[in-house]
Amino acid sequence: MHKKWLTAAAAVATVGLLAACSTPSEAPSDEPVTITYQVWAGTQTPAMQEIVDAFEEENPNITVELQELPWPQYWSTLQTSAAGGTAPDAFWMLAQQIKPYAEGKQLLDITDAIEAEGVDLANYPQAVLDLYDQGDGAIYGLPKDFDTNAIWYNKALFDAAGVDYPTDSWTWEDFRTAAKELTNAEAGVWGVAAPIDYQGGYYNSIFQAGGQVISDDGKTAELDTPEAIAGIKFWTDLMADGSSPTLQQLSDTEAETQFEQGKIAMYLSGAYWALKLYDNAEIRPNIDVAPLPIGEQRATVTSGIANVGYVGTKHPDEVAKFLIFASGETAANIQAKAGAVLPAFKGTEQTWMDAMPEFTNLQVFIDAIEYAVPLPVQGNAAEWQGLQTEFLTPAWNGQESVEDAARKYTEAIDKVLAEG
Amino acid sequence: MSSSVVKPVRQVRRRTGFAARTDWWAYAMIAPAFIGLAALYLWPFLSTFLKSFMNVPVFGPGEFNGVDNYTKLIGDDAFWRALGNTALYTGIVLLGIPLAIVFAALIQQVSRGRAVYRVLFFLPVVTLPVAIGMVWRFILNGDFGLLNWVFSLVGIPGQYWVADDRFTIYAFAVVGIWMGLGVNLIILGAGLQNIPVELYEASSLDGANRVRQFFSITLPLLSPTIFFVTVLTTISALQMFDLVFIMLGSVNNTAIDGSKTIVYLFYEAAFVQFKQGFAATIAIVLLVIIMAVTALQFRLQKKWVIYD
Amino acid sequence: MTRRESGTKRRASRRSGASAGQWRIHLILVISVALMVVPFVWEILTAFKTNNEVSSLPPTLFPANPTTAAFETFFATVPFWMQFGVSAASLVMRVIGQVLVAALAGYAFARLTFPGRNVLFVLFLLMLMVPSQLFLIGQFDLMKGLGLLNTLPALAIPGMFSAFGTFLLRQAFLTMPKEYEEAARLDGAGTLRTFWSVMLPMARSMIAALAVLTSLYSWNDLLWPLIVSPAGDNRPLTVGLASMQGQFGTDYPTLMAGALICTLPLVIVFIALQRQFFAGIASSGLKG
Repeated sequence: MHKKWLTAAAAVATVGLLAACSTPSEAPSDEPVTITYQVWAGTQTPAMQEIVDAFEEENPNITVELQELPWPQYWSTLQTSAAGGTAPDAFWMLAQQIKPYAEGKQLLDITDAIEAEGVDLANYPQAVLDLYDQGDGAIYGLPKDFDTNAIWYNKALFDAAGVDYPTDSWTWEDFRTAAKELTNAEAGVWGVAAPIDYQGGYYNSIFQAGGQVISDDGKTAELDTPEAIAGIKFWTDLMADGSSPTLQQLSDTEAETQFEQGKIAMYLSGAYWALKLYDNAEIRPNIDVAPLPIGEQRATVTSGIANVGYVGTKHPDEVAKFLIFASGETAANIQAKAGAVLPAFKGTEQTWMDAMPEFTNLQVFIDAIEYAVPLPVQGNAAEWQGLQTEFLTPAWNGQESVEDAARKYTEAIDKVLAEG
Repeated sequence: MSSSVVKPVRQVRRRTGFAARTDWWAYAMIAPAFIGLAALYLWPFLSTFLKSFMNVPVFGPGEFNGVDNYTKLIGDDAFWRALGNTALYTGIVLLGIPLAIVFAALIQQVSRGRAVYRVLFFLPVVTLPVAIGMVWRFILNGDFGLLNWVFSLVGIPGQYWVADDRFTIYAFAVVGIWMGLGVNLIILGAGLQNIPVELYEASSLDGANRVRQFFSITLPLLSPTIFFVTVLTTISALQMFDLVFIMLGSVNNTAIDGSKTIVYLFYEAAFVQFKQGFAATIAIVLLVIIMAVTALQFRLQKKWVIYD
Repeated sequence: MTRRESGTKRRASRRSGASAGQWRIHLILVISVALMVVPFVWEILTAFKTNNEVSSLPPTLFPANPTTAAFETFFATVPFWMQFGVSAASLVMRVIGQVLVAALAGYAFARLTFPGRNVLFVLFLLMLMVPSQLFLIGQFDLMKGLGLLNTLPALAIPGMFSAFGTFLLRQAFLTMPKEYEEAARLDGAGTLRTFWSVMLPMARSMIAALAVLTSLYSWNDLLWPLIVSPAGDNRPLTVGLASMQGQFGTDYPTLMAGALICTLPLVIVFIALQRQFFAGIASSGLKG
């Protein structure tokens, strides 16, 4: 036992020494190198593998290992591994999660590499680039895709209820009325799904009502303004009307699943569901998409996934190279052709739409860029967004007024923002 | 516990000759266990204790902040809710013990098929908790779960057992009882074997029936084992984590906030929010609670446990 | 010894005396056992259904068109054999380590005299009472320090050194008659020889019980692997299964097929070694 421990300790020490010795030396670019690339599991994986293959073809000395993690464990795993020094070399990042990583100096600064490779940032949507700007002058990654929100709807359920399909001039009132008419409790059909969902849900309506989530200086929440409250009421009204399954039902079976099961007529969410819905042959012919309804104004939040690198990687040059490639034009075209997701790289939108010819109105998501606002991600966004169920559930269930719930939630967000 | 520590000493003292000498081999034999214990249990215990007085950021070193974590914990509604949930869960799960006693006694009575019964009662113990969580989550689904369907046949209104925080703890508890029955049954069964047959024979001659024998002989003589099982069940129930994680783990279950247990709170603080100082505080408080409850049980046992 | 005797005696007396009431007891037990296994039966039935059938109302009892599609999806998406290998390998490491460590220390505590014995043993007992969550952060830091995160040893090491095994085997050595040991010593065998060739074989049944219990904990452990090995090639089955739930969300047939397959190996081992399982549980009473 002793011996085993000693051998193990010696081995660890040796590896450590070797690693320490080899890092500073200038790695020649043709030395074989393996890096890991972590993404969350879903319909995008095949496209990601294709991107990896294309990169390996261009760079025969670099091998990229694609690692998939399920969404529920993605962030806790990433944090644990970053804290443990074993984070993947490259991985997907979300704007609402980036701050602790950037502040904790866990991300690879690729500013120089971007300059050296001559990347033109004008190729990416400014709103999404802004989301990842940490104000420290460094660029940690480039967006690989972006998303806006719209109404996914089930034509068969509209036909069955004799309701006209959504148009691009629908107001909140039109939407609410249609949702009511589409609901058929006996058949187990609801007009809409109204989960407590910030990205696909109430942030959009808050901006549509002329409100905002976080103040301009980023220091306080503004969910308790009359405009924001109106935006939240848009959803609680749908709940009160009985036009949506209850929160309990939406917890047992997620909104998107219920939409695919044909139990929900309208599902307000992002472009990222397109391929999953398209792949479901049973429901595909019935699916169409329309712009979000208009409140005081048109609005949708926009965001996107960025490819970022780990500061502790042993191969920073190769990782930077890969990150730029994975968010570049070739990769964007691969994503678009697969229909995986709407690429961030400008000029590849048409290819994405062509990948799903039976969905004829996908242009809606691209048109939405005109009135899109960046997703609010100030401060430790993941933490204060994580509080939403705790504070908003009573309002959704009708146990508390929206005003009271919004006020309490605003106070809680302020506390998180004050902590920095 | 203390009596078992003393016993070997007495035995050794009684021995004569070579055994009384110090045996230096002992240190070599204990070394692996001791090094492991020190590195993997003692040191982590001490470091957790220290961290409970520190603010430890996600990345980088921490700093001492006195009892801030403790005052924050005491002022945290989520903590009291988790404490209440844990207490409720533990309370209900303890009701599984009478059930286990009855089944152990019944199995003891039959002459055939004992092994089959034991194996079947024991199956949940050897099943992955993750798998158990999944199966039950499905059975308890509000829309198409088996339980609501059976209930509807007899006219009981169905509920969203794992999506409505008014019911989640009860759902966990039912599953907890189901999971623990097998273990308790085996321990209690072993206890039953130790009860001398003569006692039953004598009381039969006195005309006592089975039910009366159960209360006048079985229960009192089994009380030390029942006590043992109660202590163990309490300790493990106070540490329940798997069921919450698996049955409610999906990201947007709105019942999660009302359904957390202490250890779930700890897991979340330590490995999701990465507030390790705060997490350490939760763990230390849990230790204090477990010790207090166990001590209380040891005190109370004098009132009902009969040692011969 | 006395325990076994009184047990058989009683069994004999019951059989002659009270067979009339037996069928009633059997009836109660059969109904209870049937309720106990409902979740397993439902799991098996569901695994052979389609997702549409599962989410339709009212539920069907038996699959309308039995299909193995769920199993195919499971094997196509989850690297089962790899994760099975990880679970099995870490189990073997943990069991061998725990038995060795615990047998050595247990014997020393039970049978050898040395200064500091009681203090050390009390320390072991104390650690037994601390909830395991308290060790997690420190153990994680240690594994991180040793560079063992996402490796097999990280999964197995903490379980090897748990004080529980030492305690259990110490009890076993305490109950053994001293005559054998003394005879061996008189024949000139040293401490290690005596331990290895005389005492260890005599503790066989208890070691088997410890091995079986350790296997149970190792196979079923979720929290620790979730922390030290959540991604990559060294994920055990529990983590894989938990991940699968995230991936398949509400695809219940696939989830049930996965749960069934991951559970099966241990159930088979249990049925084969039930006596050791029961002996282990009865003597330790500690729960997983």
